[in-house]
Amino acid sequence: MRNPGVSYPQLLETNNRIQNCGDETFWLCLTRTVQGSKLFPVSPYILLSYLNAFYRYPSLLRKIEARLPAEQIADRARNMGMKMQNSALGWALPNFYLLGRELLLSLGMLRPQDALEDVVYVMDFWKRYMLSWHRNDGHITNREFGHRAQILPDRRLEVFHRDLYPCTPGDPLHAAAHAFLAMASQYGFLVSCESRISLTNSGPYRLDDHHELIVRDFMDLAECSLPWLDGVAADVPYNYLTVPMSVRDCHFTIVDDWGSFESKPEFTAEHLAGVGLYTSDPLTEGYMPVGMASRDELIGTLRSLHGVLKDATNKLWLRIAAWTRDQMLDAGALVYYNIIKDLAHVAGVFDVDDWLTIDRRADRFRPLLNDEFAGQMLGSLVAGLNLPNHRQSPYVMMQHSDQPTRTYTPLPYSVLCGEEYVPSCGPVQPGTSHLDLKVDRYRTSAGVLSLAEYNRRAREFTPALCTDKYRFLCETWVKYNHHTALANELYELEQRESRTLRGRGTTARPR
Amino acid sequence: MSKLYIDEDRYGEAPPNLLVETVRSAVTTLVRRRFAESAVDWSAFVFGAGDRLITSQDFTDIERQILDTGYRFAWSAVISQRERPAIYGGADDVGADLANFSFEHPEAATGEPDSEGRSQCGFGENVVRRRTNAVGVARYVRSSDRVIEYMKNGVPEGTIAIIDDSGGTLTAPILEHFAGIVCAGGTVRSHLGILAREYGIPCLMNAKIRGIHDGDRIEIEASAESMAAEAYFGGEAKLARVWKVVR
Repeated sequence: MRNPGVSYPQLLETNNRIQNCGDETFWLCLTRTVQGSKLFPVSPYILLSYLNAFYRYPSLLRKIEARLPAEQIADRARNMGMKMQNSALGWALPNFYLLGRELLLSLGMLRPQDALEDVVYVMDFWKRYMLSWHRNDGHITNREFGHRAQILPDRRLEVFHRDLYPCTPGDPLHAAAHAFLAMASQYGFLVSCESRISLTNSGPYRLDDHHELIVRDFMDLAECSLPWLDGVAADVPYNYLTVPMSVRDCHFTIVDDWGSFESKPEFTAEHLAGVGLYTSDPLTEGYMPVGMASRDELIGTLRSLHGVLKDATNKLWLRIAAWTRDQMLDAGALVYYNIIKDLAHVAGVFDVDDWLTIDRRADRFRPLLNDEFAGQMLGSLVAGLNLPNHRQSPYVMMQHSDQPTRTYTPLPYSVLCGEEYVPSCGPVQPGTSHLDLKVDRYRTSAGVLSLAEYNRRAREFTPALCTDKYRFLCETWVKYNHHTALANELYELEQRESRTLRGRGTTARPR
Repeated sequence: MSKLYIDEDRYGEAPPNLLVETVRSAVTTLVRRRFAESAVDWSAFVFGAGDRLITSQDFTDIERQILDTGYRFAWSAVISQRERPAIYGGADDVGADLANFSFEHPEAATGEPDSEGRSQCGFGENVVRRRTNAVGVARYVRSSDRVIEYMKNGVPEGTIAIIDDSGGTLTAPILEHFAGIVCAGGTVRSHLGILAREYGIPCLMNAKIRGIHDGDRIEIEASAESMAAEAYFGGEAKLARVWKVVR
């Protein structure tokens, strides 16, 4: 009898995570979106991305963790606005992987116990990352918190809050911010081939009885790790931008694990009451203000960025409009699959072959991925739940639907009493792409770097707030130790780039 | 032929979609055959021999089997139909003859001209409630050809775009110039709805309309109540009207 490489508690916990992911995926897909595109073959590229995720995530996550543990990467994520938030880590990491597994199960190409140790590892990586990233609100997901995301430490919220520039409809800052937000959102959908994964929202945070803070991040804006931005985004000066927004008389009722929100009343530009602008990446000391020295500078910066993004949108759209279907399929599949690539950037182990190619085991399915089959199969996988593997005993009443179904197949405990299983799908295999090769040019806060240089610098750099001296100085510790020199030092570090709080330390109390 | 682990499924039922079941059945048959040919046990097959023996050509053959029955796939992206017209059904070329095209949704509510000279020709789900309705000239934007035309010549002032793509990418370079949007698909949460809200453009999603042609003057009821989240969970849907302005 094979000695199982996993324990009963590991399987119990893994299956709990799988079930939670499945329930939330069903709810999100049923209630949060209806998408279609005449430009991109969206469903075909989504299925291809799921397959690539299944075959590659286990190996690539192990490669990342060999350099930096999941919980330490999440410590970084809590202090910056990269693509390591929602929907990337909160939802896509486990669910792309599990949806790939479920697709292969439905086709008879897997048994529930195949790649069992991979499944346990991927879900464990995700759990550790999420616990660390969410450590301030104490939940694993936004779902668990009633669809809310209070990620940021108090000291960062104080800086965002105090450094906001107020604005009202009709004033130049409001107009510039409104135009920028719309343009950046639009550009993000295009960069991400009709998906919403280039922007995310977190919060809300209470500012006062009439104002809440919502933090919006725009990601993958410049020439960095998406080859279709080479050239067209050469003038975009930042790859990541974070916009804290004060919102008046508008309560955010849902901020979900896709990073989208709902509010009462509906959030429109009229409710925007204050705005800030920041950038961050693996080489910055957390959030760095952009054009925040004065109100006029911020207005000018937002207008300038609007123009740059408009130009990049036009150029990128013309490039995409000339693509073949295979190129569209690859770009969509890659931007979906590599939604977690920033983990590799932070760890300094990003590799083009890992993140910008379709593994040959996934690519072989390409002839099946016509628009109709892919659309119907995707519908079955995420909302219909009508494949044989989804069906459960008639006694089962699934959350949200009461149907005898399950989004994901649990791992069978029978492996603990001798049922044979296969631990892993094996290492990454060679991949292909119909897209132009990635140019060795990566826009970072330290300038445009080669990939080797970017990786080297990322490996050698740890933001001060994430060093061992400070990373465990949590909100509970600050609550009772704010009077100490160490707490003051911690706050002064966060305030180094603040226009209003620099040098104030813990003496500046939240308003 | 070998049996697969999933062949013994106490509760499994065939999926209701015929194409999904046809492909699923063909692939599982293929896996059984290749597994038998491999002469290895499943643990050596699943991520070993199977990865080598189940090939892209096998899946091309499955597609061919389906097409040989006379079946043609429905397309969703224009590029799919344009590159391989032989495998996709429906000759509706979204770029052609927009001057004579109109959506003719059977469920569209229509009416006689009212006292203001407007005849209702449909309805949709309002993204954001505004103080006033939007009035403009209907222009269909259904393909990249028209987007390129408007990129070159500019979007005519007062254009209310009639779109069947609820995504946010097809119209990306020109969206901000629309005076209004009527989208025949999606929901208020679709990407196009999200962007219309961001830009502050009056927008109706999931619209059902009839008899609106390129160049018609239309009014959309942007002042109607917006579609609330509850409406998607069985609550009462508040629909906004679309009129053709006939005088």
